[in-house]
Amino acid sequence: MVSVPRGDAEATMNRPRPCDSDMSTVFSLDLLANILDRVSDPRDRKSCRLVCHGFLRAEEIHRRSLRVLRLEVLPGLLRRYAAGLECLDLSACPALDDRAFSAALAAGAGQWRLRSVSLSRASGVGWRGLAALVDACPRLEAVDLSHCVGVGDREAAALANAAGLRELRLDKCLGLTDVGLAKVAVGCAGLEKLGIKWCLEISDIGIDLLAKKCQDLKELDISYLKISNRSINSISSLGKLEVLNMVGCSFVDDEGLQFLKHRNNSLRSINISRCENVTSSGLTSVIEGNSGLQKLNVGDCFPELASLFFSKLNDLKDSLTVLKLDGFQVSASSLKIIGLNCKNLAKIGLSKCQSVTDEGIFELVANCVHLTTIDLTCCHLLTDRALISIGDQCKKLRCLRLESCNLITDKGLECIGTCCSSLEEIDLTDCSLSSTAMKYLSQCSKLVVLKLGLCYMISDEGLVLLASNCKKLRELDLYRCVEITDDGLAAIAAGCKKIQKLNLCYCTKITDGGLRHVSRLEELRDLELRGLCHVTSSGIAKIAMGCRHLSELDLKRCNLVDDGGLFALAQYTENLRQINISYCSISGTGLCMLLGTLKCLQDVKLVHLSLVPIEWFEIALRASYEKLKKLKLLIGLRNLLSPLLIEKLHSRGCRIRWVEKPFAARR
Amino acid sequence: MDLKLRKPPETSSRASSTMVNDISKNLKPDMPFIQFDSSSLGYSVGQDRSMSEVSPQVVNQSHCFYAPERETKIKNHLGPSSVIDWNPRLMLSNLSFLEQKIHQVQDIVRSIISQEDHVVDRGNELAAQQQLVTADLTYIIIQLISTAGTLLPNIKNTLLSTDPAVGQPSSAMGMNTNLSSCGGQKPIEILPPEVAKSSEYDELMKDFDACVGEGDELIKCLNNAGAELSESMPIDDHDAKDYDDGMDGENLPPGSYEVLQLEKEEILAPHTHFCLICGKGFKRDANLRMHMRGHGDEYKTPAALAKPSKEASSEPPIIRRYSCPFVGCKRNKEHKKFQPLKTILCVKNHYKRSHCDKSYTCCRCKTKKFSVIADLKTHEKHCGRDKWICSCGTTFSRKDKLFGHVALFQGHTPAIPMDDAKVSGAPDQVQASESTNGMAEHTGFNFTGNTPNDAQSLDIKGADDCQGYFSPMNFDACNFMGLDEFPRSVYEVSESPFSFLSTGSFSFIQRHGEN
Repeated sequence: MVSVPRGDAEATMNRPRPCDSDMSTVFSLDLLANILDRVSDPRDRKSCRLVCHGFLRAEEIHRRSLRVLRLEVLPGLLRRYAAGLECLDLSACPALDDRAFSAALAAGAGQWRLRSVSLSRASGVGWRGLAALVDACPRLEAVDLSHCVGVGDREAAALANAAGLRELRLDKCLGLTDVGLAKVAVGCAGLEKLGIKWCLEISDIGIDLLAKKCQDLKELDISYLKISNRSINSISSLGKLEVLNMVGCSFVDDEGLQFLKHRNNSLRSINISRCENVTSSGLTSVIEGNSGLQKLNVGDCFPELASLFFSKLNDLKDSLTVLKLDGFQVSASSLKIIGLNCKNLAKIGLSKCQSVTDEGIFELVANCVHLTTIDLTCCHLLTDRALISIGDQCKKLRCLRLESCNLITDKGLECIGTCCSSLEEIDLTDCSLSSTAMKYLSQCSKLVVLKLGLCYMISDEGLVLLASNCKKLRELDLYRCVEITDDGLAAIAAGCKKIQKLNLCYCTKITDGGLRHVSRLEELRDLELRGLCHVTSSGIAKIAMGCRHLSELDLKRCNLVDDGGLFALAQYTENLRQINISYCSISGTGLCMLLGTLKCLQDVKLVHLSLVPIEWFEIALRASYEKLKKLKLLIGLRNLLSPLLIEKLHSRGCRIRWVEKPFAARR
Repeated sequence: MDLKLRKPPETSSRASSTMVNDISKNLKPDMPFIQFDSSSLGYSVGQDRSMSEVSPQVVNQSHCFYAPERETKIKNHLGPSSVIDWNPRLMLSNLSFLEQKIHQVQDIVRSIISQEDHVVDRGNELAAQQQLVTADLTYIIIQLISTAGTLLPNIKNTLLSTDPAVGQPSSAMGMNTNLSSCGGQKPIEILPPEVAKSSEYDELMKDFDACVGEGDELIKCLNNAGAELSESMPIDDHDAKDYDDGMDGENLPPGSYEVLQLEKEEILAPHTHFCLICGKGFKRDANLRMHMRGHGDEYKTPAALAKPSKEASSEPPIIRRYSCPFVGCKRNKEHKKFQPLKTILCVKNHYKRSHCDKSYTCCRCKTKKFSVIADLKTHEKHCGRDKWICSCGTTFSRKDKLFGHVALFQGHTPAIPMDDAKVSGAPDQVQASESTNGMAEHTGFNFTGNTPNDAQSLDIKGADDCQGYFSPMNFDACNFMGLDEFPRSVYEVSESPFSFLSTGSFSFIQRHGEN
């Protein structure tokens, strides 16, 4: 066992020695594996395999997917699971490089059955590693290289040797050009899903060849490419295309969308949002040619939609389930037409449609009773009346976003709370609600995501009510809920054990005691404590020891936090990936300890660490250059750090944001 | 040029030149030729043998472009009798005539020498004789010196026409000073008889070449008469290539045209038009005409400046075709399936391309060589642009052409040039790939393979310097340093490198943990 985390040491010690009573002598491995299949929670599975050899062996053979959190355990894990593994996720191992990857693959040489490999953000892996992967895994079907900014044509060429590839994500592979795309297109002619979002070097020529060579493409993401109408023409020849994402293709206009008119109706989903040069007539032609369209996202294209567009929605009468119209001027009459035409609508996005009124919402929901998601972010005109009509009609509602709907009061939420019992997600950021609203919301026992940022009036009382019933809560945002104290947190920690993401920024009444309660949230992964001026290293240490899965932590402007807190983090939160310790009172040793020890660290913000001398910055960054992906530093350090260090950071795909900020006292 | 070899007997050269100089002092206003001719005279004295080498065809041509001027001037002094001797058709058929002519000239010169002492008052007659001799010799000398290799199309017009064309552009007047500066000053240097020494003369010719270049530029700027005159040299050559190619379809019946064959030296000569006064060489007749204006007002008349036109030609134009002097070449008239060349430019380019060393090397790719400078220039326009290469080895200058090719052929893919990959990639990638190399060196791992297939054969070498820079903390990257087996050692679970730091902290945490 290479990878027993310290928290499980107890379980390991208590493991029964192999003896006659071993499970494997009673049940066959197949049976044990079958049992394991029924254990869904990964933590429970872990407990199982730690309990006896039988389960361990059964899992070794039976395990199909693996997400590696720490690079150092990779070879051991792969040796163990090589035989059965089909999905390998290495996206959390940014320090992975060609050597390590090739060596890890060599561990299971000859027996790999891998179908899917994710190397997202593993920018240390180059063409050599990929070539080794392709050689070792003949069954490879899916590869994810998104956000590997160093990936270019040679990497694509290495991948092109995997003839069986069906799924490939190359988002933000900045070095990829038409040549690399052509390599993939020719080599992997059976490609069904391809993402080349943000691959800015790709042009019409490459897309044209892709369309000619990969006729089986079903999903294509060409968002933000600098392609013209010609590409859309090429793409229109893809007979099996179902999903087309072309967000922000600003060189495509109505003429290009005309090409999508003459198709065989295979398209199911299209995203044309942020295509600046598209107008109503282009959208209309898309609708005309694709009556099977289920998802249509046309947000942020141009200000006003012509009424023709809404009447054309009649063509999609039965099929359309998702419609996003973000940023348009949508009048009440338009919403009525939508309601009349698209009765099967499940999701509607009206974010930033500032002209949406209560009346419009009423007309919409009167007909669209199947709506599950309604996004009304920044629809400032909406009042409680809109919420009442939603509550009356949409009994299946699961997600409601009301950020910045300032006119909404507690009363409106009463209706939502009582009527929409299946509500899972609600965003009430910047709505002037009080703790009374929490009483109504607590009726929604299935609530998973709750955002209450900037609701200044929410107090501990509200949190107590919430915690009493919303046991499934996973995400809670209390940004600047300044009334909240340690007692509220105590209630939350006691009631909502499943919380994974918690935002307590600028809840300035919180002290170390509150954090001690938070540390009971074992599943916590993302914790933001920005600007908590009463919190000290002691509280952070509590968090570190309690929340072992913590991967993101924001301690910006926690002025009292010093080296002690960082030592605790370095010691315990092995999975920590992002940390912001700007303005903290830490010294060089603390910084070095943190950066040097935490092996998963990717994103570090180190602004205004006035107690850290430049030499320690240098040492700490040298110790961690190969894992860091994002770094925020004061611009003054740019000339003080050695150029070689900066170059090495860049070479591993680390992006450094140099900020120029005078040291300011806490806001 | 073999001119250097034919050094005239010094005595005769000196004698004649001194004599001419004397005369020129008297006759300067009317005798603009004299300075140059004094040296040419010296040459011609000892050159019977070399003259015979020049083929009659060449003589014919050079006579032709020389003729109009000679006719207009010499006729006045000596009458038409001497002109008849120079009938080009006779010349064409009679090789030996040239030799005779030279003897005649020699005789005249001898008679002049003999008269020199006692006939002082017959200055005019002597001058006329002198002019005849010098004029004749001038053209012979021109042949010897290196000229007459090619005739540009506009020269052909000159040779076929007698009637002056409408008018030269008035803007050409601006050239006056410039041309006189390069055409009028330089010849003065020729005045001393020592100049007759061939090596020095060659140097002067080089200077003239430079002047010609200037002249060309000026013409280009000032002359809006048309493309024919303003085209620069490379374009002319380019056109000639087309002629060359277009030849084969012509199918003139043998015998329906006149076949001329230029000698190697003439083909390779840089200039075709020479000033009869100062000897300066030009590539174009138009340039020469411009130049001539600097020699006196009589050259400034519209008639003198005009391009001689074809229409008024008294005789029907003779169809001329050219033969390559290289025996055995298909373009050589001895060849069974002789295919003539259409123009002298064709001859020039054909000869250079087929029978000369390719002395112009492309400075970009260092591999492609050319014998015609225009070909080099054409190549250079595209050299390095053929970066689009297919896996089958075919190269393309344009990406879309390559992708069209790839789309057409199953299994073909665009090749990734090993070196260019860095250059063409996004800045991020460039940096990444470059410094990854550095990284590999640094940490002591070298991937020996250059192709993806070699990726497994990893060459692991321990490097000493690697510990120097990035190992103050001794992390993963450095853990495997110096260890023999790399796959496992990379992952050795090591003690925290900060154990020396963490002792205190640990106690701190425990202290708080007790709370």
